[in-house]
Amino acid sequence: MSELWQGQLEKIDGYRWRIPRSYKPGMRVPGIIYADEKLLKDIRQDKALEQVANVAFLPGIVNASLAMPDIHWGYGFCIGGVAATDIEEDGVISPGGVGYDINCGVRLIRTDLRYEEIKGKIEALVWALFNDVPAGVGSKGDIRVSPREEKEILVKGSRWAVERGYGCEDDLECTEENGAISGADPDAVSPRAYERGKAQSGTLGSGNHFLEIQVIEQLYDRDICDELGLDSGQITVMIHSGSRGLGYQVCDEYVKSMIQCLNKYNINVPDRQLACAPVNSPEGKSYLAAMKCAANYAWANRQCLMHLVRKSFEKVMGMPWEKMGMHLIYDVAHNIAKIEKYEINGKEKTLCVHRKGATRAFGPGHPAVPERYRKIGQPVIIPGDMGRNSYLLAGTQKAMEDTFGSTCHGAGRVKSRTAATRSINLNALLKELESKGIIVKASGRGTIVEEAPQAYKDVNDVVNVVHNAGISKRICRMRPLGVIKG
Amino acid sequence: MSRSKVRLLHGPPVHPPVKNYQIIEHTADLALRVYAKDLKGLFRNAAVAVFEISAEKISSKNPPQKESLPLEQKAATLDELFINWLNELLSLSATREMVFTDFKINKINEHALEATVTGEAFSGYRINKEIKAATYSGLKIENSGSDWQAEVILDV
Repeated sequence: MSELWQGQLEKIDGYRWRIPRSYKPGMRVPGIIYADEKLLKDIRQDKALEQVANVAFLPGIVNASLAMPDIHWGYGFCIGGVAATDIEEDGVISPGGVGYDINCGVRLIRTDLRYEEIKGKIEALVWALFNDVPAGVGSKGDIRVSPREEKEILVKGSRWAVERGYGCEDDLECTEENGAISGADPDAVSPRAYERGKAQSGTLGSGNHFLEIQVIEQLYDRDICDELGLDSGQITVMIHSGSRGLGYQVCDEYVKSMIQCLNKYNINVPDRQLACAPVNSPEGKSYLAAMKCAANYAWANRQCLMHLVRKSFEKVMGMPWEKMGMHLIYDVAHNIAKIEKYEINGKEKTLCVHRKGATRAFGPGHPAVPERYRKIGQPVIIPGDMGRNSYLLAGTQKAMEDTFGSTCHGAGRVKSRTAATRSINLNALLKELESKGIIVKASGRGTIVEEAPQAYKDVNDVVNVVHNAGISKRICRMRPLGVIKG
Repeated sequence: MSRSKVRLLHGPPVHPPVKNYQIIEHTADLALRVYAKDLKGLFRNAAVAVFEISAEKISSKNPPQKESLPLEQKAATLDELFINWLNELLSLSATREMVFTDFKINKINEHALEATVTGEAFSGYRINKEIKAATYSGLKIENSGSDWQAEVILDV
């Protein structure tokens, strides 16, 4: 582990800390970190806070460089970072502020199944999912598409999948941007990126991506749970995946081109992985159009994955998914840049909001929230690690005011993959998980150890901060029963 | 700068330096320190590290089918050349479904390289880790006469 971060940090209140602008010449705004004393101890262990300060250099950045409590060291941006730039004031867009896995995100599926009825079938469900959902590095799906169709995916996103019979209209309504962000231009995506994404629709991927069968163990807001059709003891399924090779290639190519933009637009950033260009420049527009393609690809991918999950459940349970009430609660992106409007100092501004390991958390009444959720706020899905919990939260008005409608995205790593591999014994870990009633299957054995609960912060601590800071609100908590890792 | 005097950018090494590279602690991703006697070696050893980390040979009775490809890169700076080289290899590996095992660098200077890279089909390997890209964050390439060293963070 590297040495403790020694920079300036001022306490704002019980859940917020500030890195003042004076910390580093060149910071245009302060850094604000959402954390409590306990989480802050871990956060100071690596270079994440330095990265929060570096992001504050971005031209056009508004209010603050924000970090959520699941913040950890990334490259360029920290993971758990939120940065909004004013596009009318030469605000920039940075591919590094979105990351390689564009629109990595999560979806949560409810079911009418209760733990008591399926507890004897969890293992069969895990095996069915493991066999039927392609996972692991370089995995290919059975869903094959022509080059023309691939372009269609980049524009239509989830709708493409639904039109092919992999889901229903209702799924689209319950997906951020209805599963397709407008303005995607397939011509902004290189032939190599198409090739790298080929045959990966309906594949989970590897690393921290997963499928999880869960049970709801605690309700925090009974009324909202009733409205969502959620209750204690009920089974849910969570899917975590992204844009696979297509997104990596888009990011790689645009970082390369934006490195040249630093000179061209006279931009000074302390880390070249923050390479960027004004949103309204030709380079910025082109990246945004390509990023949207990758985002739509990811939504289509998660829609295809959900279809495979429904089919696996049908096979094991012997009834159609509709009869099991397997409806999508919501799907959120947590690696993305969005053009959104906010009131800044009494004036409406159009901002480019980067969420790198952060989730949109729009409050009640926002027109982008599906009508069915408009009273309660946008559902926010927070996956934890494979041994503890995951959460369903709702967005709040306070998030609109304080964090550009954003909140955390997960537990956040605390231990490196190498340290986890060195210190955790696979068999002991599997035994420990088994004793908690959790069955794990993974394509690569190494992945289980790297993704062990000990490698992550406790998601309960993370959610505690965002809830108490008021930037999202707890609805219910799940615990894992069956986990499929790539 | 001699090897022992190079400042540790990302903490102490995890593995003893028995190879031409070391894996260094990084919370979310994977940081590498690569050593070589010349620039050619530095680029070659970095590429070897990337593919050794991501893939493991599965024993097979059949001799592997090898394929060689020419690879040319140009860049404004040495740093960019280094990142472009690794990212081009990762991209080609994904699209061609090959693990690269041999890197013959025919020509190299700070702005361009010409190489022939040889790989084998994925089928002969167990892929342990997906490396998405090499990043500029914390990138450092240093030369002290007869020693070259690079540090790079890979997104995994």
